[in-house]
Amino acid sequence: MTTSLGKRCIAEAVGTFILVFFGTGAAVVTLMLAAGTTPATPFNIGIGALGGLGDWLAIGLAFGIAIAGAIYAFGRISGCHINPAVTIALFATRRFSGRDTVAYIVVQLIGAAAASLLLAWVIGPDAVTIGGLGATTPFPGIGYLQAIVIEIIGTFLLMLVIMGVAVDERATPGFAGLMVGLAVAGIITTIGNLTGASLNPARTFGPYLGDWLLGGSNLWAFFPIYIIGPIVGALLAAFLYDYLSGE
Amino acid sequence: MKCYYCALEGKESEAVAVCIVCGMGLCMDHAIRKDIDVWEGGYPLPSRRVKAPLPRILCPECYAALYGKEK
Repeated sequence: MTTSLGKRCIAEAVGTFILVFFGTGAAVVTLMLAAGTTPATPFNIGIGALGGLGDWLAIGLAFGIAIAGAIYAFGRISGCHINPAVTIALFATRRFSGRDTVAYIVVQLIGAAAASLLLAWVIGPDAVTIGGLGATTPFPGIGYLQAIVIEIIGTFLLMLVIMGVAVDERATPGFAGLMVGLAVAGIITTIGNLTGASLNPARTFGPYLGDWLLGGSNLWAFFPIYIIGPIVGALLAAFLYDYLSGE
Repeated sequence: MKCYYCALEGKESEAVAVCIVCGMGLCMDHAIRKDIDVWEGGYPLPSRRVKAPLPRILCPECYAALYGKEK
């Protein structure tokens, strides 16, 4: 017997809220700090203007530490997927029911949207006009298909770590939150300046909705990148891990 | 094995259980059964409570030490 679906949904919504509020909040604040500086290259949109790749490491750690905290808080209650791609991969590998999968995705999107709207309210209009609420888009020189492949690779590593440190019953218990958080931080440090390193459709949905509602950019044309990439990457990792770890 | 508490009272009775904490032999009068729920699993799947609780036998002193009250 597990905790009721209602309570698990609340945990998922709050967990996703934590991820989006602190993670995208770090990106927004970095962009606001860098506002007015002259970018060193056209590849630089503001994040990286002050500390180079260190800016991305800081943002990655903000995401990673928030994710680790959420996992240790809610991992036993809901499983703390806080990412529709992870939920879908667990459903596809028959670890999670269809009914729960739909419910989890809905509340993950709600939690992400709430985080972006609250972030805009507490920071003010600059969070939208300068920070773009931390929305992800392909960076200069990165094409649509390239962005999808980058998101696939990033989420592939994330899901592979989840499978290895948490799903596999042979894994040493207690390290999952820490390792998943660090993996996210590492992935964001590397691919952050390529696609924004979403790895998570809900993480992109929240800022897109907030920007769209609050007079910022309309970025929905890029949303398929952050749906297809993470889901395909997570599915590939889950099926590959099951294949490799089988007898 | 005899019951430790009965021995203290100058009686002699056969032990039917052993305290899981201190190892005392206990008769039916002194054994305290305190079942505990067992949860398995966890991130990234919700923890699941196993259907039946695990039986656990404690002596009165260990019960009081663990739960802060006399049984």
